[in-house]
Amino acid sequence: MQERKGKVYSLAVTTLLTLSMVLSACGSSNSGNDNSAGSPNNNAANSAEPTVSADNAAANDGKSEVPGEKVSLEFWANKFEPTTDAWFKKWTDEFNKTHENIQIKLTIVPGDAWAQKLKAAQAAGKAPDIMTMSYGNIAPAAKLGQIQPLNDLMDPGVFNDLYDNVKDFVSVKGTYYAYPKLVEPSAVLYYRKDLFQAAGLDPEKPPVTWDELLDYGKKLTQKGIFGLATAQTAADLGWSSWGLQFNSAGHLPVTDDWSKADVDNDGFRALLNFYKTAYESGIMPKQALSAYADATPFGQGKVAMEISGSWSIGLFRNDFKNMLDKIGVAPMPSIDGDQTKPTATLGGWSLVVDGKSKHAKEAADYISWLLAGDPQIMIDYFKTSQFSKFSPRKSVDEAMNQDPQASSDPWRKLIAEKVIPYAKAEPIYTYDISLAFATAIESAMKGESVDKALQKAEKDINDIVAKQNLAGTNPKN
Amino acid sequence: MTVKKGATAMKLKAQWNSVWLNVFGILIACAALFPLVWMFIAGFKEKTEVLATPFKFLPDRWLITNYTGILEDADFIRSMLLTLGGAVLFALLSLAINSMGAYVFARLEFRFKRFMWLYVIMSMFIPGMAILLTSFIVVTKLHMLDTLAVLILPGVASAGHMFFIRQFYLNVPIALEEAARIDGATRFRIFLSVFVPMSYPVFVIVGIGSYLGYWNSFVWPTMTITNTHLFQIMQYLATFRSERGSEMGLLMAGSALAAVPTILLFLLTQKYIMRGIKISGLK
Amino acid sequence: MSKKNYRFDNATAYMMLTPIVVLLTIFVVIPFIYAVRVSFYDWSFYQDSVFVGMRNFTNVLTDDLFLKSVGVGLKFAILVVPAQMVLAFLFAHVIKGMGSKLAGFVKTAIYIPTIISGIIASIIFVFIFDYSAGIANYVIGLFGAEPQAWLAEVRTALASIALPAVWLGFGLTTLIMLAGLLDIPESYYEAADLEGAGSFAKMRFITLPLMRNVILFLLVTGFTGALQQFELPLIMTNGGPLNETTTPNLYIFNHFRNDVLVGNSIASALLLFVVLGSISAVIFKVLNSEKAVDG
Repeated sequence: MQERKGKVYSLAVTTLLTLSMVLSACGSSNSGNDNSAGSPNNNAANSAEPTVSADNAAANDGKSEVPGEKVSLEFWANKFEPTTDAWFKKWTDEFNKTHENIQIKLTIVPGDAWAQKLKAAQAAGKAPDIMTMSYGNIAPAAKLGQIQPLNDLMDPGVFNDLYDNVKDFVSVKGTYYAYPKLVEPSAVLYYRKDLFQAAGLDPEKPPVTWDELLDYGKKLTQKGIFGLATAQTAADLGWSSWGLQFNSAGHLPVTDDWSKADVDNDGFRALLNFYKTAYESGIMPKQALSAYADATPFGQGKVAMEISGSWSIGLFRNDFKNMLDKIGVAPMPSIDGDQTKPTATLGGWSLVVDGKSKHAKEAADYISWLLAGDPQIMIDYFKTSQFSKFSPRKSVDEAMNQDPQASSDPWRKLIAEKVIPYAKAEPIYTYDISLAFATAIESAMKGESVDKALQKAEKDINDIVAKQNLAGTNPKN
Repeated sequence: MTVKKGATAMKLKAQWNSVWLNVFGILIACAALFPLVWMFIAGFKEKTEVLATPFKFLPDRWLITNYTGILEDADFIRSMLLTLGGAVLFALLSLAINSMGAYVFARLEFRFKRFMWLYVIMSMFIPGMAILLTSFIVVTKLHMLDTLAVLILPGVASAGHMFFIRQFYLNVPIALEEAARIDGATRFRIFLSVFVPMSYPVFVIVGIGSYLGYWNSFVWPTMTITNTHLFQIMQYLATFRSERGSEMGLLMAGSALAAVPTILLFLLTQKYIMRGIKISGLK
Repeated sequence: MSKKNYRFDNATAYMMLTPIVVLLTIFVVIPFIYAVRVSFYDWSFYQDSVFVGMRNFTNVLTDDLFLKSVGVGLKFAILVVPAQMVLAFLFAHVIKGMGSKLAGFVKTAIYIPTIISGIIASIIFVFIFDYSAGIANYVIGLFGAEPQAWLAEVRTALASIALPAVWLGFGLTTLIMLAGLLDIPESYYEAADLEGAGSFAKMRFITLPLMRNVILFLLVTGFTGALQQFELPLIMTNGGPLNETTTPNLYIFNHFRNDVLVGNSIASALLLFVVLGSISAVIFKVLNSEKAVDG
């Protein structure tokens, strides 16, 4: 009896272990990151490229494969709205169909796991050939060799198609490291025209100064509805207050050469006072109803005015259609009403080629085809995102202005004319500095004195500069 | 006379206590189940309704599209079955490996025992975050990416579980083994014939713990599995969450459905759990 | 007669230990040693790594936020673990006294919360604590109280995360307590009854001492588990307000996500290991369980 049980047990354990060993061999792996039979220094002409960006042969740097060799590339895209995900899939499939020699394998990675997945892959040498990257990360990544320069991999013409300020986002001292896909201003004011009217305010005259904003907020706050919603936690304020930092003080909390904090000035004092008053006056909920990037509470009618990014237009048009005629859109108010001062930063995403990619040329080809090629591809993107995102390319904007849907959109027009021209680039220094400043704002909101909060921010920022040896390391300086 | 009255009184008291206990138990169960029920019902709601004000428990319109959409999705079904299989395999393997270790440390004497014990126990405190990157490098070098092994092998040996089983084995009376020892059984035989059969309650707990650990893992699968055919269930559900918000209705429906096989599994094994615990209680 | 020394069973021991030791070595110990080595460098995946000695560690140790996060972790553990243990202890008794069918149902019910996964549970509790639409504010509103900013107020934030932590964990803890309880022979209690002992006395002299091993285990795993919590604050408060809910792992995760180089994250993770190990060692000593330490 015992013998039998013993045998059964041993058998079971052995089976389980064997099964695991077998399983380690099975499981298809079609991530073709390993270098297939590529002849490295073959200068043969580039494979068939029926795209707008021709003349790639001239830019051939000898890394291309012999024509006819199939190359498989990994492309990781950050997960955004479902419409964006669908757009990526659609056009990647299209590319794969029309390019026999280059096959792109698209993986959409949820934001929760992006950092771990990417960094682990980089550590193990298995980073994807192509990936999405936000503008703020480009210069630091370039400095560390994580992404490749694109000047020699792509037709120079595609870079000339970009607006001047956008060129700056994707280049470091003249060398291009990324190709931009979209720009979206980080702060826009959304307001309820019907609630304005009910409160005796002119729905065609949204507030233009901070004082007006706070004043309107008081008039609009009533039972069940808050006057204003904006960022109120350090995590949200970290990036969403950049625009207002420029607006109030004309610069960021650290000097241009990153050698010390630049916090002690009236502009920032006014900034902290603005947030402090907004929070303490009761026009804002004491606990954020959603993240800054998510304007759902406004769509649900819980707040009368909401400050959020331009992408929220997409949210309203997709999910809150019945509210659309009640929504007004305006630039974020400026400290003194001067609307030529920046109130937002221009965030956005681009595609980059990994520093260690063995198929840089093919990767660049895909990026060129997708983002810098036929304007219709990008117009498709902007349409499905309900014109809540904006193009960095002159040619695409020209084409869109011919489009009846696009050219008749008042919100698009407003943002393109009144917000984007004045918006600034996102800072590229370590996020710790932004968080230190944001913590100062949050502590002022929650009761700390403005002076004390700024003093702490100054100390913290100087600490960060010292610990990370930041002085003089600004790649763009 | 008094003895009889006393006995009846005690019986009544016992019954009354039992009623109260049962009521309490049900309340506890409700508190634990409430969020699950809410999640299940939220699956019928439209995306923006899930977190709407004012708080509404039941949806305005009962949409079955979330549920039907997911059930028709072959990827979801495959992911769920795959995760279920993986979790069961993981649990069984974990029991086998960790119970052997537990027995060795509870009952056997051998050279370097103290050192081995410290070696194994120290590993319990190594935080996952510290070795996230480096263990990924290790499994990459071993070509384990995109296989089931990478999800099972790294976590299956657990000092914590081993420690737990050992605590129970320490309490097993020596007398039980003496008989077998006198019969000339080897240590391994004693393990199989004496310890394993009576490990039911402990095995149930470690089994459930291991199963749930595998079932809920999300970060590691996302890092190591890119082949969508091998996606684990939490990894799959994460595709409903994005930078800007979540597909609430789908997410809730998906989570509710994903919980079903596990609940069924637990209900089905209740019999063995009960039996196991009863047996041990009678000792 | 056996030829071997009857006290030593080297062969069997090593054979049975092989799987667990081998697996732990490959997947835990080796990565750990690798991580330690790397923590002395500015680990760059694309360029040569620069040796920086202790700098990563000193940066972390002098970072106020790191020290604060350790404090937060300890506070959090103190909120969660005792509550969980006491509740589990009580519930285990309740279940023990229930009829078997009902007991089976309840037992399944209480560990179901864990199936839902930390991320979904966080979403559900975020909703419960929602300022305008949440159940929590709805309920206290019925008593005439003002809505509370549960997750945004410095005073209440940590407790508001402790609640879901307890809810998630008490199922398994109760089961373990129950198993430990059932291990105690009824005869002991009957004997105590005969001697006229009351409930408290029975608990003090029978239940608790005999459950010592189980309690020790639960305390150690409870503390280490609570200290490593990061999903809840990540989803519910993002470490705020003002870093009041930044648990150590969240601190590490944030740096991991935001920093360009990972040296800081790895150093802080290793320092956390030191902290965890020390606390567990203290718990061992305090409970002074010889059996547990000797091995």
